Amino acid sequence: MSKMRRQKLSDAAAICGGLLASNSRDEAVWYLKCRALTAEQYVDESEMEEEGVAEILLDSNATADMPRPGTSLNRPMTRAGGLEQGMRPMTSSGRPVTGFLRPGTSSRPMTGQQMDVSTAMRGPRPGTSRPATALGREVRLGTASLDSGGGAAFVDTDRLDLKRMAKRGALAAALVEYLLYVERNPRKALELAAEATAAADFKDWWWKARLGRCYHKLGMYRDAEKQLKSSLKDQDMLLTHLELVKVYQRLDLPNTALDLLARAAVRHDGDARLALASARLHEALSAAEAAGAAYKTALALDPTNVEATASLAVNYFYADQPEVALRYYQRLLQCGASGGAVWNNLGLCCFYGGQYDMALGCLDRALTAAGDDIIGDVWYNIAQVAIGMGDVGMAYQALRVASTVDTNHAESFCNLGVLEMRKQNNDSARVNLLRAQTLGPWLFEAFYNGALLDYRTGNFQEAYRQCQRALELFPEHSECKELMDTLAALFAAM
Amino acid sequence: MPADDTHEEKYDDNNSTGTIDPPQWPGRDRLNWLIYLTFVRRDFKECMSLIEQQLRAHRGLCEYPLYAKGLLLRMEGKIADSLLLFQAAICLNPDSSTYLKQVGRCFYLLGKHKAALGVYDQAEKLCSEDWEVWHNKGLCYTYLRHNDAAAAAYEQANSICRHDATFLQLGRVLQLKGDAAAAVAVYEEALEFSPESSELLTALGLLHLGAGRGAQAFDCLGSALTHDARNVRAILAAGSVMQDNDDMDVALVKYRVAAVHAPNSAQLWNNVGMCFYGKGKLVAAVACLKRAQYLDPFAWKVNFNLGLIHLGTQQYASAFHYFSAAINMNPAHARSYAHLGVALSRLDDFDNACAAYDKALELDGGDATTVLNYAIALCANDEPERARALYERLTRLMEDGAGYAEERDADVIAQMLALQRTLGLGLEAHQ
Repeated sequence: MSKMRRQKLSDAAAICGGLLASNSRDEAVWYLKCRALTAEQYVDESEMEEEGVAEILLDSNATADMPRPGTSLNRPMTRAGGLEQGMRPMTSSGRPVTGFLRPGTSSRPMTGQQMDVSTAMRGPRPGTSRPATALGREVRLGTASLDSGGGAAFVDTDRLDLKRMAKRGALAAALVEYLLYVERNPRKALELAAEATAAADFKDWWWKARLGRCYHKLGMYRDAEKQLKSSLKDQDMLLTHLELVKVYQRLDLPNTALDLLARAAVRHDGDARLALASARLHEALSAAEAAGAAYKTALALDPTNVEATASLAVNYFYADQPEVALRYYQRLLQCGASGGAVWNNLGLCCFYGGQYDMALGCLDRALTAAGDDIIGDVWYNIAQVAIGMGDVGMAYQALRVASTVDTNHAESFCNLGVLEMRKQNNDSARVNLLRAQTLGPWLFEAFYNGALLDYRTGNFQEAYRQCQRALELFPEHSECKELMDTLAALFAAM
Repeated sequence: MPADDTHEEKYDDNNSTGTIDPPQWPGRDRLNWLIYLTFVRRDFKECMSLIEQQLRAHRGLCEYPLYAKGLLLRMEGKIADSLLLFQAAICLNPDSSTYLKQVGRCFYLLGKHKAALGVYDQAEKLCSEDWEVWHNKGLCYTYLRHNDAAAAAYEQANSICRHDATFLQLGRVLQLKGDAAAAVAVYEEALEFSPESSELLTALGLLHLGAGRGAQAFDCLGSALTHDARNVRAILAAGSVMQDNDDMDVALVKYRVAAVHAPNSAQLWNNVGMCFYGKGKLVAAVACLKRAQYLDPFAWKVNFNLGLIHLGTQQYASAFHYFSAAINMNPAHARSYAHLGVALSRLDDFDNACAAYDKALELDGGDATTVLNYAIALCANDEPERARALYERLTRLMEDGAGYAEERDADVIAQMLALQRTLGLGLEAHQ
């Protein structure tokens, strides 16, 4: 018991295992072991989870193919008067770069493109693997931990008498958690929860919430919504709200989710998680100002929240206030979140704030602290700083390094192409830009620069094609439009 | 543009139907008038279906529908396909210069300039007095960088029939050859021919501006703007003339119009920044210039301007960075070195400051401000002899016609007097 309180979960489970071996009918010990194992495997459900490839491909929940602007998560750029793409780089899914890396926001294929397996499989970093389905990942985690836990499963789920268990409230509660988090068997959990709700005369909010969670896991979102709503009617709980929001998100009803969050925030003021959730939703809808305000609320409620701090910092950075962003990043460092990415961002803030010596120092630290996934970005930023100081040679070298350490770094290839263009090496510029276009089909810059290059060398057909692609990605780019008009006039002229 | 098109189209149409003998192939040209009509009405869908109908009926052996389909496809940007169609039309009627010209145009659009030239040579044999052939030959020569041949071709085209486009291209080629005076003459001649072309006016205005003739440039740009109020290039140039005349508020109004059409233009933000600098709003100026730098990191002028502002706010270290960046990108600009010298001497790096001043004077020996600043720096560092030599050089420069120090004359003279006094004192002490 005391081990359990001190969070030494595996020890606690082992001791309970020993006790159970001697007395296999001791329910108190059984309960304790169940709780310990569950707590070991517990995942914070309020976080968003990643959508697997199969779920994207077999998305049957999309309500409309052509949603109205601003009502769907899948078409983030449809909202008029949103962010300016020219001022802020985009991630691969066509959303502005966020300050905090979360699963789920990173790679959803754009609706404009064809939804095929190749785009779905190609995440932002093809080097890292992506789970085939979200459930698949959980299963994998589960098996791994069971192996390390040693041999046979603790509860033989197939032989459980669910009806009998459902009558004994506390034991059943522990068991359903165990089934969800350790066994990863939502179907069985669903059965148990259904029995338990029936046993509690359909009045217990906790069981209804569990039912909702099971439905959610099984992908039956409308049923989940029903259960969670009725659970909320019985008892107004924060976590249930968050779970319902998640369901709405899956159903692609972000505005409903936002309404729900607003209502919940009135009841439960003082909780940062609600503000965070609404900030994420705003961000996914490309409404930066609303997201910023929500993040600020979250930060006021929970001053050490890393996600809110990082997101606010990025917002300020792209709003031309690098000094303010610098303060937030310093705060992040004080909170203990130090890594390559933070140092990298600090360096950039220093650079745009005009403190060159500090900038190089920070980027240097970022290089030592960076893992393989962001080291390409760090070198890329070093190149940016070098260009800012007018040192084109160093920029060229840094970009070369960036493209070698991370051979899939499309931005580096794009900028290498631009540098080659300035040196009048048209052929190698074209090669680099082509590389950037194949690696990063979301970069309108690569297409625009390619179009410009072809236009200058007189290959109007190719320029036209690339300009079209660039305009697909960024329909408001005035230079692209101008080039397009010129080309169209050339074609139409007799 | 559409108006021009229709005229030429009609002409072509008559030509092509005229060369075929109608009694021989009855019905083959029956629908040509309808195809033409739908085409000039821009009813492309209807036009295409008519064409397809005709082509099916005659198994592709009717030239006008082929030709019209080629034009349609080219408008949609499918140049290679349209090339095939025009070539098919030529097979049916090898003597038509219209089709040859279209084939040449397709080659030109595909970037195959040599092939295009070959086709145009052929077309020239069929009809040597065609403005279009010569103009397009000139375009190909321009892309192949045969500037002289291009200029000759344009002149030939102009001798046949004068066109705005030819004048513009001729002016551009002359500018490429570095013959600005001839280019000005060409543009002026063109303006006599069509005084309302905003493009011609803008080009001429920019040339005047580059040669330092502000008033003339402003006239041209002003009339360009009356004809086309949304021409971003003209707005920027006119704004910069206003800025030169210290008319910051009017310039800002102009830039506001331009910003709607080109929000990501680094030049625009640079000019807006310098407007704010001129009005003394330094923070706004820095913000605008930073944005310009973000949008175009290779623009040395932005760096130079940022350096100027930091120099003005006595942040010499930052100013040094910006000037050195500007020099890295454009090593031939004397003023960058001169200001770098000022920044360095303020940072008490006397040796390097001297090196910078020397380099500035080497690039441009006639800049009175540089000489004066150099002299002051020398004087402050106990080198009165060299300072005195420079002072003499400065007085010579001022007598020669005041060098480059146009509007700050009073300031420069006051500084000179101060220098004279200090030098005089210095000499006395030395004696």
